[in-house]
Amino acid sequence: MQNDITDKVMATLGVFVRATVYVMLILPAVIVVIASLTQGDSLSFPPKGFSTQWYSNAFASTPFMSALWTSTKLAVTATVIVLSVGSAAAFAIARYRFIGSSLFQSIALSPLIVPVVVLGLGLLQFLSWMGFSQSYLGLFVGHLIIMLPYVVRTMVTGLLLLDRTLEQAAMNLRAPPFRVFCRITLPLLVPSLITAGVFAFVTSFGNVTLSSFLASSGTVTLPVQIFTYVEYSYDPIVAAVSTIVIAVTAVVILVIERAVGVDKLF
Amino acid sequence: MDKNTAVLTLKNLNKTYDNTTAVDSVSLDVVKGELLCLLGPSGCGKTTTLRMVAGFVKPTSGSVLIQGSDVTNQAPYRRDTGMVFQSYALFPHMTVAQNIAFGLQNIGFAAKAQTERVHEMLQLVELEHLSKRFPAELSGGQQQRVALARALAMNPAVLLLDEPFSNLDAQLRVRLREDLRALLKRIRITTLFVTHDQEEALMFADRVVVMRSGRVEQVGSPAEIYETPATRFVAEFIGWCSLFEGVVDGQGVFTTGKSIRLPLDHKPGPATVIVRPEYVKPAEALGSGPVFEARVTSNTYYGALCRLRLDVSGQEVLMEAHYPYGHGPSIGDRIEIRIDPKGARRLPAH
Ligand SMILES: Nc1ncnc2c1ncn2[C@@H]1O[C@H](COP(=O)(O)OP(=O)(O)OP(=O)(O)O)[C@@H](O)[C@H]1O
Ligand SMILES: [Mg+2]
Repeated sequence: MQNDITDKVMATLGVFVRATVYVMLILPAVIVVIASLTQGDSLSFPPKGFSTQWYSNAFASTPFMSALWTSTKLAVTATVIVLSVGSAAAFAIARYRFIGSSLFQSIALSPLIVPVVVLGLGLLQFLSWMGFSQSYLGLFVGHLIIMLPYVVRTMVTGLLLLDRTLEQAAMNLRAPPFRVFCRITLPLLVPSLITAGVFAFVTSFGNVTLSSFLASSGTVTLPVQIFTYVEYSYDPIVAAVSTIVIAVTAVVILVIERAVGVDKLF
Repeated sequence: MDKNTAVLTLKNLNKTYDNTTAVDSVSLDVVKGELLCLLGPSGCGKTTTLRMVAGFVKPTSGSVLIQGSDVTNQAPYRRDTGMVFQSYALFPHMTVAQNIAFGLQNIGFAAKAQTERVHEMLQLVELEHLSKRFPAELSGGQQQRVALARALAMNPAVLLLDEPFSNLDAQLRVRLREDLRALLKRIRITTLFVTHDQEEALMFADRVVVMRSGRVEQVGSPAEIYETPATRFVAEFIGWCSLFEGVVDGQGVFTTGKSIRLPLDHKPGPATVIVRPEYVKPAEALGSGPVFEARVTSNTYYGALCRLRLDVSGQEVLMEAHYPYGHGPSIGDRIEIRIDPKGARRLPAH
């Protein structure tokens, strides 16, 4: 009896804690979305009246739209590149013992530990020494570096969890190595690749610190644009832009969920 | 092909890891259609041997020949072997039919021939109705049969089975291994089979290879292995037995301990003798043979029979007897037993 009561109390508490966490996670996004629908010309909550004028303004604003385009282009291309580079590195780490393999792994994961400000400062100096500062290439390389550890970690875990007797079974069924890779290894790694891709994309798309070090007038990313904008003005256009970003992210997650199931991702 | 040519030959096969010897000069011939079983305790090198045949482990020295050609340095995907893994290793992202078709695609079967072969194999293992299921949607026994069908579809020269029954429950295991034996015999495939279960080896194999710490201890038919073990290790590993150390005198009588005397052979000198428990009976159940007085030290009921440990003037003797309803003697009881001299086997001297 005693146990039953304890169990019930714990269960109720659990539900309460979970609900709190979910609300805390979702609330900021909800507030932004609601605030973006205001009629007034300053950010406020609750909003005054209802209108979609700030959406028209956002879509008409060249700085925001070109920053959105820069961010998307950057995140998509960098994700593709980092997935191939990072997976190759993960293969080496997970499958082969070579001299310095643990050092190699530490270096690949180090951007997780080094504060991004430090990394940004270092990269800025390095890139200007190389003559690449204030260029799209510099920004691109910087993003690759901060995305890499997420991809390496996810892919190493995925590879270590992959049952290698499946590959041996394929070989026993007369499949040469490349065929084993294409028909067995790669398909079984798809969930890991998607997880890694999502992490990488989000890391790049939401980054402010590194981008503000490496951006120039032609390569302003959306987070940097929002950041600089709110320094001077407080109008609801940023809420509208943020809502657009939230909507895009939600759609992407939904599509992935349909394709592989989110439970398989993380 | 000549019936007695070896389909698989192992010559002096060795495998050493850093400082452990997993397989130590193993030589074997497996002939066409034979079911050969590698039997031994955990860690004796059975799996390592099997994997050297399949090509996943490179031998430290020695060679593997399949149908007469040396494959020691050949990649696994060039070898004509079909393996059923202990965990079955079915591809989780493919249906049953796709699993079976995978190998056929690799050896260039056309689409129509693939479908036919897959169907034929599913019929063989009686799983036609499950062809569209994924491995996760099958029971352990069904998975095992798919793994078997996948290997057999390739019509390999040698079928390799690594403890294929170990993941199944006891009842299913007994039924499936009888079925599997019948099937393998019917299609006359050469099979190398690994197990640590002596009962399984005896009922399944045509020939048993008993291994111990990487070495071959004895090779023989199940009956030879059971009735005339070559070493003490084999005698004790296969089934239950009483073991006597004693001497044979000039009249051919074996004496051990204070009172056990059994007619044996005519090679005087020290001898190790084993007696299987079914040759020991309560005195009234056996017409002839010397009678001994024994004290019961344990009696375990197994249904069809009881297994008793007896003390015959300081010597341990094991007996199997049928006591209806388990109403056998209790611990401490004194009973009279006979040992059938036909059951006394002298181990070869070393
Ligand atoms: N990759 C390896 N590295 C080092 N030692 C190994 C390796 N694989 C096997 N061994 C050792 O070789 C010996 C034989 O192993 P093997 O797997 O062949 O045994 P087994 O007879 O199949 O045993 P079990 O019945 O438990 O499966 C063991 O002592 C094992 O520890
Ligand atoms: Mg094994």
